[in-house]
Amino acid sequence: MLRGAPQGSAGRYPGTMAATVDERLAQTFVELADTLVGGFDLMEFLHMLAERCVELLEVDAAGLLLADARGTLQLVAASTEQARVVELFQIQNDEGPCLDSYRTGQPVIVPDMAAAEAAARWPRFATAAREMGFVAVHAIPMRLRDQVIGTMNLFGTAPDELDPAVARAARALVDIATIGILQERATREHELVAGQLQVALNSRVIIEQAKGILAERLRVTPDQAFLMLRDYSRNNNHPLTLLAGDVISGTSGLIASSQARLRPRARSERAGR
Amino acid sequence: MVQDGEVVSDRAAKVWGWIAAAHEDDGPVSVAAVCKAAALKLGVDGASVTVMSGLLVGAPLFASDELSTLLEELQFTAGEGPGAEEFWLGAPVLIGDLQSAAARWPGFVPEAVAAGAQAMFALPLQAGAIRVGVLSLYRKVPGPLSAGELADVLVFADIALQLLLDASAGISGSPTYLPLDTLSERRAVVYQATGMISVQLGVSLAEALARLRAHAFASSAALGDIAGEVVSRRLRFDPGGGTDP
Repeated sequence: MLRGAPQGSAGRYPGTMAATVDERLAQTFVELADTLVGGFDLMEFLHMLAERCVELLEVDAAGLLLADARGTLQLVAASTEQARVVELFQIQNDEGPCLDSYRTGQPVIVPDMAAAEAAARWPRFATAAREMGFVAVHAIPMRLRDQVIGTMNLFGTAPDELDPAVARAARALVDIATIGILQERATREHELVAGQLQVALNSRVIIEQAKGILAERLRVTPDQAFLMLRDYSRNNNHPLTLLAGDVISGTSGLIASSQARLRPRARSERAGR
Repeated sequence: MVQDGEVVSDRAAKVWGWIAAAHEDDGPVSVAAVCKAAALKLGVDGASVTVMSGLLVGAPLFASDELSTLLEELQFTAGEGPGAEEFWLGAPVLIGDLQSAAARWPGFVPEAVAAGAQAMFALPLQAGAIRVGVLSLYRKVPGPLSAGELADVLVFADIALQLLLDASAGISGSPTYLPLDTLSERRAVVYQATGMISVQLGVSLAEALARLRAHAFASSAALGDIAGEVVSRRLRFDPGGGTDP
C-alpha cells in the first residue's frame, strides 16, 4: 500500500519513543511529498493522510471529505469503520460539524458532543457520534485562500479540547494535503479525481435507495435501516455498497433474516392499530 | 472546482441556458437539445445519448450529428467501447486518445478511428442503482477534457438524466418545466423516498424517482419536501396501501 514503508509505526519511525511530534511531522511531510511525484493515486494519498492524522495528532479516528464538481461533499477516506459511519451520517443528514466547517471555511472544534450546546446545534449527529463512541469532533477546512475543497475531521473517544500544538500540526497536515490535491486537480489527474468522486456519490446514493427499500419493507426508519445494513455488512464481511446493490436487486438475505427477527414486533403493532 | 453551492448552481444555470438556447422548436426541451448544446459548448465535435430499454421516452438514441450516430452503432454492433462499459457506480470513461485504447476495445477502436473519432468520453446517466442511459462525446483530434469542461459535462449528464426521467413521467413538456429546481437534490431523503415508493408501487427505482418528481412538479412543491412527506409516512403513492403483505 505504502511505497517502501515498513509496517507498524515503530518501524516507520526509528526511535519513535524519543521522536517528538515535530520530527514525526517532518517525516510525514517527506512521505506525503513523495507521493505527490510519480504515480500519484489520490485515494491512496488520502488514506495515508487519514492514518497519519491518527498517529501524529493522537486522535482515535480521522476522516476526509472532499467536494465534487457539484460542490457536494463525498467521503473519500476514513481511518476506521466508526469514522466512516459518522462521516456518512453527516452527509446523509446534511448536519454536523464537518459540514459547517466546509460551508464556513472555518475550523469547528467540539470538545464534547454531549455538551448541551453541541446537542442543540446538531441534534441527530450528536446522537449518532455518541453511538459510534465519539465524544470529541474537530473539523478543519481544507482551504487555499477563498477556495474550500473539503474538510479533515478528527474524532476522539474522550472529551478533548484540541491542544494548540496539535491544532498547529493538524493545520500543517491539512495545508500540505490541500496543496497536493489542488496541484493534481490542476494537471493531468482531474479526470481520475472526478471519476472517484462520482463513484463516491453513487455509492452514497445506492445506500440511500437500499435504506428506503428496507424502511418500506420492514417498517423501520431510514436510520434503523442503515444500522441494519451496517450490522449485516459487518457480520457477513460484505462491503456496504455491494450489500446495498443486493438489497435493491432483491438478492440479499438481509430482508428475509430481518423479517424473521422483526415479525413478532410487527404483529403486535398491527394488533394495536 | 467550486467554493460553495452558489458556484454549482451558477454552473447548472449556465449549462441549462446553453441547452435552452440550443432548443429551437416549439415542443418540449428534449435530450436532443442536450446533445446539440454539448457539441457546441464542450469543445467536442459531437454528442449523443443512448437510452436504456424500458424507459419510454420515444427514442433509444439522440445524436447531434451523423458520426455520433455511427459511433453508437459501432459500439452496439461490437458490444464494446467507452459507452458500452459496465459503469458500476458511475465513473465516467474518459479516453483522450482513442488510438491508445485499441487493445482495450479491438472490435471498436480501429473502425471508430477510421471513421474520424480520435477522443471519446462516456458518462453514465446514473444515480445510485438507477441507470437510464449514457452520454457520449467525441473529438476529431486527440486531447483530454479540461477540468472546467469535465465539470460542465457532469452537469450535462445530470440534466440529461433528469430530462429522461421527466420525459418518461410526461412532465417535461410543460412550458414552465425546468429540471434545475432539483439539480442539487442529491439529498438523502430523495433517494430514501425513491426506495420506499418503488416498494409501494412495485416498480423500478427509476420509475419510482420519475413518479416522485412528477408528483412534486404537479403539486408545485420542492422535490425534497415531497420526499420528506414520503419518508415521514405522511404520503404514500399507493392510496389505501400500508398494510403488510
